[in-house]
Amino acid sequence: MVNNAGQLYTMEGVAAGLIMLLTAYIVVSTTSIYTTGDTHIPDMQLEQLGSDVLAMMDTPDIDGGTSELVGFVKKGTGIGGGNDLQDEFLANCKMRSGDPDDNLRAQVYLSYRTLGGSVNTTLLSSPDPWFTGRENTVRVTRWVQLSQQPGDMPGDMRTDPQAVLVEVLLWRA
Amino acid sequence: MACMNEDGQWIVLMGLLVAVALFFLALIINQSALVGQTTAEGVLEFPKNDIRDLRSAVFDYIDASCDSGVKEDIVAISLERKNAVVSFTADVTPWDNNLYMVDLHYNNGVTVYNETVYY
Amino acid sequence: MLSLDFLAGFTIFMLALIMVVSMVPGLLAGLQSSGIDYDAVAYRTGVILVEDPGWPAYPQFEQPWELVDKDKIQRMGLAVSKDTPNVLLSTKVERFFQNSTKENPFFTPEDYRKFVIFGDIPYSYNFSLNISHPDGTYGLKQAGDPLPPGYGYIRRVVKIKEPGVAVIVGNTTSPSESPYWTSSPTMPTQNFTVRLNFSQLLNQSINTAYRIDPRTEPVNVTITNFEAYLNDTSGATLKSVTFRKWDPTRPGIGPAPIPFSYGKDDTDYYTLCIDGKPEFYSPEPNAQVSSNISLVLKPAATSLFPLDQNSILDIKFNFDHDPPETNITGTHLYDYVNVTRTDLKTAVLEVAIW
Repeated sequence: MVNNAGQLYTMEGVAAGLIMLLTAYIVVSTTSIYTTGDTHIPDMQLEQLGSDVLAMMDTPDIDGGTSELVGFVKKGTGIGGGNDLQDEFLANCKMRSGDPDDNLRAQVYLSYRTLGGSVNTTLLSSPDPWFTGRENTVRVTRWVQLSQQPGDMPGDMRTDPQAVLVEVLLWRA
Repeated sequence: MACMNEDGQWIVLMGLLVAVALFFLALIINQSALVGQTTAEGVLEFPKNDIRDLRSAVFDYIDASCDSGVKEDIVAISLERKNAVVSFTADVTPWDNNLYMVDLHYNNGVTVYNETVYY
Repeated sequence: MLSLDFLAGFTIFMLALIMVVSMVPGLLAGLQSSGIDYDAVAYRTGVILVEDPGWPAYPQFEQPWELVDKDKIQRMGLAVSKDTPNVLLSTKVERFFQNSTKENPFFTPEDYRKFVIFGDIPYSYNFSLNISHPDGTYGLKQAGDPLPPGYGYIRRVVKIKEPGVAVIVGNTTSPSESPYWTSSPTMPTQNFTVRLNFSQLLNQSINTAYRIDPRTEPVNVTITNFEAYLNDTSGATLKSVTFRKWDPTRPGIGPAPIPFSYGKDDTDYYTLCIDGKPEFYSPEPNAQVSSNISLVLKPAATSLFPLDQNSILDIKFNFDHDPPETNITGTHLYDYVNVTRTDLKTAVLEVAIW
């Protein structure tokens, strides 16, 4: 009887300690799963910023005027086209109240429906030399309507009035 | 076992108490983590900017006198590049020649959006 | 015997407790540094500011929030209308940031929390709007405290809509070719009217982002090179400027004057400047004009009227002298042809919450 009772406190202590440690382990493991959700927030901020910039570049400054974005797309990959669109897009993205937000990078693509009816995507700006494809990028898009084929585009692009999709890959270097 | 000493059970009870407290803490922490996650995911998953852009593209299509090629472009490129099934019709309303009734449907698998708007 | 057993059990328990307790702060610290909630609140605040015109707003209410008393404001949004997200109205922006960096800002931190940030916790905030002007300079507006580390943040790119201005330019080299010039001015008073026809201005086919709406934006009228209109005198006496509203669809009701006191200090309602002098004149200036007149009629004044699509508002410049001192006459329409509208300006709105 005495021997039995002699071990009880130790047993209860071990049991209590095990319960607490197990709980703590479960708590830590469950919450640490959710912290991965944090990465969504920078994505959301970047996507919102990119969408805003494209939308504002597509808003003409004067009533009835042509928007900046349409002007760039009309030039295709030529001078005043894709590369300038990329520069202007990044300039707008980097703008803030203090120093510019310099480590943003972007690459511009254009999707169009070809003569054959399939959808083709082509690079509108010159490729970013540091782009590896492993970056955590967001893709923002904007519809543009053209009355004719932009300059310096692949041969399978149609020449009649058409809607094309400007796609911008945006990432933080 | 007839004469079991139950003096030590308060230690187990305290352990349980701490465990329960920890669980509540975990519950609260998870909730607050969920707030940020759901907000960001909600914004990312609900294609507000895409739908707005699509609307303005449809309005541009009407302004450009409803070219059927443009309509096919929008439907085809939406499906191919945006993974969204889009269909829309724009008809002149019988009471005003400059007013169009636009019927817009958008479905990207997560979000379904239908709208009838006069433009 | 019993005490040794108790000691062992209790020690194991205490050790486990200490281990668990030491884990908890690490759990909480990771939560605090991520600032998840702050980002969500910043996003929400940004959406309210950029995509919403606020409440009360036109056309449901006579006066939008930027004109009413603080206790009537429900929500502060800067957008021109709900159909034009990201296009902000300059008058709303001015009100929002009014004296925000000075001693006595118009909106207190409680107001900002109540009308834009919302939420149960008294969040700290910092709003900044960096406007890029066409000449390459930047105009920065700011409200709130300096940023601490670990704040929630959102950046929105927007356009700012600024009011247009109607400029009437006299031709000094050959005065008779000036607009609204007459060789036979009427006697004894000479009137020049600027007419705001709301059925033209509020034309639904014009996008709200480019619309001239005197109910929400100031009306600017400037007459320069007034020398061209002088009738062999060194100046003309501007007796009064009157504002009258009438409705052509309701012929029985005559023109009604704007119901506000004609004191010269009411710069909230209007400003009248003559010859580029720094002082403001009342609408009954009885002052000599020799080179230019500049009038700004603010929305606070125009909104005192119930103005709708049928209204016409006449701004009448009344010169009174015998023999006539000026050759100006006629009616200048304040419309989409005569008003020089300002181009939309790109700007960046940043919201930080902590």
